[in-house]
Amino acid sequence: MIKFNINDTPVEAEPGWTVLETARHYGIEIPTLCYHEAVMASGACRLCMVELRDGEWSKLVASCIYPVAQGINVYTESESIDNVRRWIFEMLLAEVPASPEIRDMARRYGVESTRFAIKNPYEDCIVCGLCARACEEIVGLAAISVMSRGVHKKIGSPFSKPTEVCVACGCCVTICPTGAMRRLIESVRETPEVTLTPLAV
Amino acid sequence: MNSKPNVGVFLCKCGQKIEPLVDLAALKKSVGEMEGVACCDILPYPCLEPGLNVINEKILAYNLDRLIVAGCEGRLMLKKFERKMEPKGMQKGQIDVINLRGHVADVSDLSPSLKAEKGAKLIRASVAEMIALEPGLKKSIRIDQPPIILGGGISSFTAAHELAREGIGFLMSVPETDPDVVLRNLCRTYPGERSHYQRLKKIMDEVLTAPQATILPSGELAGLAGVTGSYSLSFNVPDSMTQCQYRAGTIIACLDGELIPPGPEFGYDGKTVLCQHEFEDVLYNEQIPEGNTVFWVCDYETGQPENAQLSARAAFTMGKHILENKTRAGVVILYNEQMPLPVNATERKLGRKLGIIWVPYDKSVRPILQADYVNFGSVTDHLEHELPWDRIVLSPIRTMGEKSRAAAKILGILHEDKEFLSAHHAKVRPEMVGREESYLTGSARYACDLTDALGQGRKAGKQNAEMITKSKAGQLFIPQIVCVVDPDKCVACGQCQELCDCGGIGVADLVGGGLPRVVDPMVCTGGGTCAAACPYEALTLQNNTNIQREARVAALARQMADHEFVAYACSWAGLPAADNAGNIGLKYDPAIHILGVPCLGQLDPSVMARAFLEGAPGMLLVGCVPEDCHHSFGIDHAWSRVNLIKKLFALCGFDRRRITLAHADMNKPEAFVKTIESFAKSIKMLGPIEKTPENQRKLQSIYRLVKSNSRVRLLLSAGLRRPWEHTYRGDQRYALQYEREDFIVALKEEFLKARLETLMITEKRPFNIRELASVLTEEKKSVAEQLSEMVAEGCINVRYKEGKPLYLSAN
Repeated sequence: MIKFNINDTPVEAEPGWTVLETARHYGIEIPTLCYHEAVMASGACRLCMVELRDGEWSKLVASCIYPVAQGINVYTESESIDNVRRWIFEMLLAEVPASPEIRDMARRYGVESTRFAIKNPYEDCIVCGLCARACEEIVGLAAISVMSRGVHKKIGSPFSKPTEVCVACGCCVTICPTGAMRRLIESVRETPEVTLTPLAV
Repeated sequence: MNSKPNVGVFLCKCGQKIEPLVDLAALKKSVGEMEGVACCDILPYPCLEPGLNVINEKILAYNLDRLIVAGCEGRLMLKKFERKMEPKGMQKGQIDVINLRGHVADVSDLSPSLKAEKGAKLIRASVAEMIALEPGLKKSIRIDQPPIILGGGISSFTAAHELAREGIGFLMSVPETDPDVVLRNLCRTYPGERSHYQRLKKIMDEVLTAPQATILPSGELAGLAGVTGSYSLSFNVPDSMTQCQYRAGTIIACLDGELIPPGPEFGYDGKTVLCQHEFEDVLYNEQIPEGNTVFWVCDYETGQPENAQLSARAAFTMGKHILENKTRAGVVILYNEQMPLPVNATERKLGRKLGIIWVPYDKSVRPILQADYVNFGSVTDHLEHELPWDRIVLSPIRTMGEKSRAAAKILGILHEDKEFLSAHHAKVRPEMVGREESYLTGSARYACDLTDALGQGRKAGKQNAEMITKSKAGQLFIPQIVCVVDPDKCVACGQCQELCDCGGIGVADLVGGGLPRVVDPMVCTGGGTCAAACPYEALTLQNNTNIQREARVAALARQMADHEFVAYACSWAGLPAADNAGNIGLKYDPAIHILGVPCLGQLDPSVMARAFLEGAPGMLLVGCVPEDCHHSFGIDHAWSRVNLIKKLFALCGFDRRRITLAHADMNKPEAFVKTIESFAKSIKMLGPIEKTPENQRKLQSIYRLVKSNSRVRLLLSAGLRRPWEHTYRGDQRYALQYEREDFIVALKEEFLKARLETLMITEKRPFNIRELASVLTEEKKSVAEQLSEMVAEGCINVRYKEGKPLYLSAN
């Protein structure tokens, strides 16, 4: 049993739990985007940042992948956390201006506009990779994956072509936090064109 | 196992997503009072480690062996729970996830307490199913017999090579065992692949001398029986009427296609206008011709544009061979402008150096062959140009070939009237099929080049080796939701085999006829339409049986208010559409109570009838669009079964609209909401079926008829095809005509019988004919006819009083 504090409240956890899991179990909500209970955490969106403090020293960590440890002091709300989240939202607003979900979340942190250049006003995919993880971990396929690197990163099927690997189960659509997959899935799934008529044997 | 299962129900707060919308405390109270529920708890997040920890503690404390989590989408979450709970002895089927958030909390404006009531209804139904579950064991499968490689395709050798490398002994049936002869003939199926021959010869030599190899005497495949692990195969012995039999654990069928020259409309004459595979024979076995050789890549014109690149590559290698060996020769490759060039930069450079000329032609102007010249439309200036030729080499037309077709028919992999055999398996999750289609390789599967075919062989060899090694270690398990046959009940009517689209149903042994069927669990996808079609209830889908579904729908139907209805949603279309509707916050009529089902084809008509018998005013079934059905035909079969109930409703005077089939797309939740709204409106208008004794007797009769009348069930499954299909595998008949002429007549007769029987059972007294006719408002003559048949069948008894017959139930 590991004992530590979240927001000055003592909590208990088992080895292997993460800070996010423990906080949620105690009813403390931490916002997330790239996190879903059904798949492995990836720590990509940095929205679940929490602050670890030890006297004067402090640091920010992603709670969805940060394992619990004896005696740490975790704070889920603070000025520097809010600052990070506002930055993230400002960047997201520039990256995915077409997503109402992101706009709503940003508004809650007082972010209404962005100082960054908007590359594509119709973009709504935040490339969190939840869909690719769902495809691999839940369905057991790799019909879609995260392609390219850095700023060119995007979601799609191999060679951006419809793929027969996709079974059109819709897991990626359900798990997508912004609804971008509704648009993307159409270029991935292939609707069978043949009528299935068995032969006389 | 305990005689009485202990169900644990866990309600998810899902942070703030469920808790404020549903009165969880009230829900917990009503769930806790349900029969069979040993414990009910509210957790902030049952799906996270701390929550799972609590569930584990409860499993130990209450000895739980069934788990229901009411939270969010089961499609996403179920697998995690199954994985996490497996060490606790929970198997597939023992855990159910109800989408409280997406089907109840988010989708209507009901008050939290009313939502709790709706949630309770869904949970009660799930509890009923869980109690009815008899868990099938997790079975491992043993493969003791060696794999057999048959079909004689070139990929046989790479498959064998892989098996030999893994040290696995195998049987191999190839028509020719001299590598030189095999290679000499190879250009007839794979033209322009000479560069691979040396490597291939080495593989062949290694395979033929490998200690693991048992080369069978050549002969055509004549028969196949059994399932993965124990197949028996028979081969015709050439030049005699006898057959020899072998036993094998797995099969790798290596089938090569056939190349046919295009017809005379392409100028083909077999001499100066040749096909590629014939030209290669000339090129290597006779002499290299001088003069202009024009390779016309005519695949777009022969209707196989997908093969253009294969032909163009063959043309390139042959052209290269000509120019490397003859200086006074010209090579032109004439191709349709739509084809991207299949050569890389180095090859292009080499081609330029040698003088191979690539000439694209206008796709809308078909090249015309005339004496010494060929005309084509230029893509740059749109003039008609002429090319001089001394010989024209045409692309072949690729087919699977008669030999491969015959073998495929015996192997049960010839599903469709298509040019090739390429697996069109049901589109399901890989875990639902134990064996990938690792048993079919070669160009009869789809048109491919030699490298591809050899690669397929290697892959199949590797997969089979893995499977065999796993089974030796006792680690090869069959999927848990598969069909099983009760051999005592099976009468070998073969309906299931005709309906099964996975090819997973066969006979157990080669000898004799009229044998019970067996299901190959490594091929079965658990579609279950075969089980729902079985006239004798011999086939069941283990861990997902008809008994379970009936229990669930009955429990739900009993709780339905006058305007409420049951909806079945298939997990590929209806259920994801419902989940997604909840996800994006669409609102719809809360009268709907959604039950998930893997495929609508699994729904036995008795499940539908049971819902109405227990008091549901309506039933909606939401499945895939027919061409998108993931289990190939499930939705069509559901259509036929829904129509059976509709016909019976019409005979009873109930409104046919009470049961309706709908088609959805997982990505169109808005359309799904419209479907629900429309159906909810018609149910509101119709109201409930009045619970008079007469109506109850009618519903009872419908249920009795569709559940256990094997004549109706047999006739129904014989007609489970779409009207526009003409070719059937077995005795199935042209659906529309059949339905109008034979089926409806038989249905009326059998329904009258069922009503008579129900009446006699419920009233528990003897009746005379006149009384029966007046109670059922039927004609005396037809009643008398059916009664005499029923007496002959022994389901009712007859007594005579004052010379007049009195009828009484036999029970």
